[in-house]
Amino acid sequence: MFTKFFTALILTLLLTTVGFTAEPAKSLDHASAANQPSSSALQVATVPQSQAAIVAVAAPASGMPTKIKPNRTITISMFSTIIGITLCVVIWAARQTKSAADFYTAGGGITGLQNGWAIAGDYMSAASFLGMSGLISLYGIDGFMYAVGPMFSFIAILLVIAEPCRNAGKFTLGDILSFRTAPKSVRAVAALSTVTVSLFYLIAQMVGAGKLMQVLLDIPYRVSVTGVGILMVGYVVFGGMKATTWVQIIKAGLLMSGTVLLAFLVISKAGFNPVGFFADIVGNPLIQDHVRVNVLKDALPKAGFDYGQRFMEPGLFLKNPLDQISLGIAWALGAAGLPHILMRFFTVPSAKEARKSIVIALFINSSFFFLINIIGFGAALYLSPQLISSVDKGGNMATLLLAQLLGGGAGSLGGDMFLAFICAVAFATILAVVSGLVLAASAAIAHDVYVNIIMDGKADQHTQVKVARITSLFVGVAAILMGLAAEKENVVALVALAFAVAASGNFPAVMLSLFWKRFNTAGVISALLVGTISALGLVVISPVMTYPQKIADDAQKIVSTLEKKQLEGVVLAEKDLKLMDKSRKDFEKNNGGTSMVGLKTAIFPLKNPGIVSVPMGLIAAIIGTFLFRDRRAEELFDEIEVRQITGLGISQASDH
Amino acid sequence: MAKAGYNWSDIARNPKYLELKRKKRVFLFGWWIAASAYYFSLPLLAGYFPSLFEIKLIGVINFGYLFILSQFLVAIFVAMYYTKVANRDFDRLTDELVREIQ
Repeated sequence: MFTKFFTALILTLLLTTVGFTAEPAKSLDHASAANQPSSSALQVATVPQSQAAIVAVAAPASGMPTKIKPNRTITISMFSTIIGITLCVVIWAARQTKSAADFYTAGGGITGLQNGWAIAGDYMSAASFLGMSGLISLYGIDGFMYAVGPMFSFIAILLVIAEPCRNAGKFTLGDILSFRTAPKSVRAVAALSTVTVSLFYLIAQMVGAGKLMQVLLDIPYRVSVTGVGILMVGYVVFGGMKATTWVQIIKAGLLMSGTVLLAFLVISKAGFNPVGFFADIVGNPLIQDHVRVNVLKDALPKAGFDYGQRFMEPGLFLKNPLDQISLGIAWALGAAGLPHILMRFFTVPSAKEARKSIVIALFINSSFFFLINIIGFGAALYLSPQLISSVDKGGNMATLLLAQLLGGGAGSLGGDMFLAFICAVAFATILAVVSGLVLAASAAIAHDVYVNIIMDGKADQHTQVKVARITSLFVGVAAILMGLAAEKENVVALVALAFAVAASGNFPAVMLSLFWKRFNTAGVISALLVGTISALGLVVISPVMTYPQKIADDAQKIVSTLEKKQLEGVVLAEKDLKLMDKSRKDFEKNNGGTSMVGLKTAIFPLKNPGIVSVPMGLIAAIIGTFLFRDRRAEELFDEIEVRQITGLGISQASDH
Repeated sequence: MAKAGYNWSDIARNPKYLELKRKKRVFLFGWWIAASAYYFSLPLLAGYFPSLFEIKLIGVINFGYLFILSQFLVAIFVAMYYTKVANRDFDRLTDELVREIQ
């Protein structure tokens, strides 16, 4: 009954959304719309806004297309096919979801291979697929360096997190942390942390999704956010973990096929000669010009300086080494503390399968990031950075433009088909990632708060599943509403925050619960609270926030440069006049303004707080533990340690 | 599998268990630290010794590019080696221990 009713509801909503999409977006400012995904779609990677603005000003736009035009019919049919396939998966999964274990962990019945693809899918977000290749195409080797963090985060997960968590845990972060502590208070704090991290991440993804669909399909922002949101809610509410996992696997398969094909086309165009390929990049006059004018801002070439070779050297995008180290910490520890990743270890039957799944995910993602590097450099060589940044300042359209070119060019059937396929894959990617996040947040609320705190763990399977479904519905709706409200917000901060909280709060708490005998309730709560609060506090005073005064100053600079030119007697082009007008308005609007917390400029110099907040979370955990010694927690350590090492007493797949 | 009711503190004093625990701890934390040192050397070297990254090794391909690629290979190596050791030693020791207890 319940399922049927909801299926009908979702289908109705879906059809309405598709109906909406037929109506083209009215007067969307594509220039500014295209600018947005650069900040939102990228996960931790952040395009410094002021820098992006300067690049845009400097980018020559003469005679170059400024937006990407996918073929609507082909694109929409590809989207519909993917939606159709995933809905079939959901219906199939819904029939098999009967117990709480089915809903949260697919009954522990996912194999290591399947889970490996699903975990790999969680990492291959639209941000890495579109954002990373874009960064490489604009900033060369620095973009490739970004790939190392996500890839390496598997090492901590493989060695110290996945197997112990599988052995000692059940559904959520709260299950592991509350094992030998005061269960109710720890679960409450763990749930709060999980919901915070997942929602921050989710909102950033939703906003990114909205902007991306707006550009790709030419549909209004609110329609795309609502459409993505409804599908996501549908997947999770009916299919639970089983559907979420399979949607993730299907998407990962599609994404890998697209990536392999695209990279293969690049390699074959380069004549299967990597040395020649890179020599062409270094020798390419457009890339040399881009590095000199747009990135290094040298008006006149420095004598004897090889601007092409500079593209292969670090420091074009990543300026502050401390920030890189901080970002490195966020990846290395944060990914292991993300609740939606932790939850994936519970879907396999044993620690051995958990191990296998991480190794498979590592293989898939390493290949993926390696191929993305080929695609990114290929885009720079065959499209030119100027063209890529004229379509999107952050470079997010590089992969799509390259697909169009290598498929046969704009307007050709092959080009349209390949572009539509890659667009559809990007869409599937967003859907799969957001579903996992909704599931993790709902599990924390339904399992930790409702079942274990409110009901004292006394709820039958039927009630548990019902509560989990209702919670998912609410979480999903909340995410849609927040996504709609955050359209104009700077969501980069949210992603930095999600990772920082996971690294500074969740990671120390999980590690110490598993490996430190004296660790106790006070320790867990201090780690989570101090980790979260310090990460939050540092992010809101960091450069990732929007500082109106800075925007005003930058606008002022543009105005005065142009005015100076006018005084010198130069007649400004229409484009420059427009820019001057816009900059004047920007100045008036932002001058004297302050950031969300009332600051004119950032106090904390780094974009990522990990280097400070991780030690703070860790120290808080240790101090808290020593201040409130708990003999019971120490006595119970033997049990959690034996469980995590041997897998004895492992929470089994539900027997039905 | 037997229902709960293990005597956890007895198992925690079992010599086989202690051997397994020690072996796992040394291996896992040792490799985690070593791998992390390699990983963090990338931002450190790129940030503070950029000239090292500029040394051309194969045609125009420089040390920096190859160093990034080596990060992938190191991660894969650690994963493969751990899988081998876990399948060979840790799983065998665990099985022996579980058989002894049940």
